[in-house]
Amino acid sequence: MMNLNSIVVGYDGSVESENAVRWAVRLAHGVDATVTVLHAAGILERLDTPFRRSATPEAVERIVAEERLDAARCHWVVDDGDACSALLRSAAPPIGAQLLVVGSRGHGKRPGMLIGSVSLEVVQHAAVPVVVIPGFEAPV
Amino acid sequence: MVLVVNDAADDSLHESPEHPERPGRVQAARAALTTLDLGSDLVVVPARVATRAELSRVHAVGYLDELGAYCYGGGGDLDQDTYATYDSWSIATLAAGAGLAVVTELQRRGDGVGFVAVRPPGHHALRDRAMGFCLLNNIAVSAAALVAQGERVVIVDWDVHHGNGTQQIFWDEPNVLYISLHQWPLFPGSGSPVEIGGPGALGSVLNVPLPAGATGDVLRRALEDIVAPVVDAFGPTWVLVSAGYDAHYLDPMADLCLSDGDFADLASSVARYVATPGRLAFFLEGGYHLDALRDSVGATMAAVLGAPHAGEPSTNGGPGASHLVSVAAQRRAAFESWTRVAGEEAR
Ligand SMILES: [Zn+2]
Repeated sequence: MMNLNSIVVGYDGSVESENAVRWAVRLAHGVDATVTVLHAAGILERLDTPFRRSATPEAVERIVAEERLDAARCHWVVDDGDACSALLRSAAPPIGAQLLVVGSRGHGKRPGMLIGSVSLEVVQHAAVPVVVIPGFEAPV
Repeated sequence: MVLVVNDAADDSLHESPEHPERPGRVQAARAALTTLDLGSDLVVVPARVATRAELSRVHAVGYLDELGAYCYGGGGDLDQDTYATYDSWSIATLAAGAGLAVVTELQRRGDGVGFVAVRPPGHHALRDRAMGFCLLNNIAVSAAALVAQGERVVIVDWDVHHGNGTQQIFWDEPNVLYISLHQWPLFPGSGSPVEIGGPGALGSVLNVPLPAGATGDVLRRALEDIVAPVVDAFGPTWVLVSAGYDAHYLDPMADLCLSDGDFADLASSVARYVATPGRLAFFLEGGYHLDALRDSVGATMAAVLGAPHAGEPSTNGGPGASHLVSVAAQRRAAFESWTRVAGEEAR
């Protein structure tokens, strides 16, 4: 089995993305990997900033504590751009993701809509394996 | 002579409460053109709706169908930045067709300069996805129409954000040279100098990322030292400009420090890329501070028309000159690595 050292999970503040973070954190704990929680900062975040760039959101800190992952193995990163491109870029250095984890819907408002579906596009274009966490189900 | 497009749409269409991409933007741009006092030299060209065939040169038909259906279903948020309303499909197809109408009118007259004062903007719109306030890529629709007529088009994008949509659409198109001057790091995150175009069009993308605080002197030098030789080698027959005004120092979206006088300088430079008259058109992209937008559009058009315009002086002294050296070096290295890959594949 290949070594899995670097897991990246997309986070946009939604319940779905929290589920994805929890799944990624559990996996990181199990395989001794680091997990990078990646937030893509859109164009409007310049005007009001729900995610302060330097500080890990409380929800993420809570999940890391609940899942007993060493906090030093969880990194919070904010990248400018749309979620899909930011996730795809994270496979390259310096992050070098070996696995991407995303919630299934994120900001796409309507189930079944292709437009706005980050997970679909990431799956289509990623050079590394992608795990899609289904919406509104209890994390596994 | 200046040709302006009247987007013929009700200004209240495609609007979302508190959203900075708002109807007042296009009104500010049009106000700038009327205050230039051009008299009968100001020609208003009615917009028309871009056809499905014209749009599908640059967008996937599946995306067009889905976007149309989404709008007519009532719309909503397409991503964290981009909204659509019931009216958005009709205003977006008019915005895309407005550029086509101006290009056609310029060709008919063989003279004039176009300013396509429309919204929503277009340069972030990807082949199959809306993004960054943009639904349809207006400038790309016009550039693709010109390429279909055998023209070679240079697109200069001085919006403060990288025009990732336009770059993606023409990535492998040898008859379009896409040039972007933008702040980096900043949304959308792309726009590195190592992005030079696809294997069928190496060198057809030229990105010049600039640090926060950069002033007009750095952009002027970038145009002279880096951009001009690439444009000369390309030999364009048309110049289209993604004229965003969010690099203005008053704009809340970013941190470049241009004045309206700097936009006049940029406009004068790019107007020289093609000597034949009637082959230059500006497309409104970003610009969210309405006064800065109005004054900068006025400065742009006054500069290319030789009309008087009392504006701010050009700016100097910001950071970025050393970046330009590294931009050129990174671009060279990207070419070398492509050449090496091609050589290895040939063996
Ligand atoms: Zn912009």
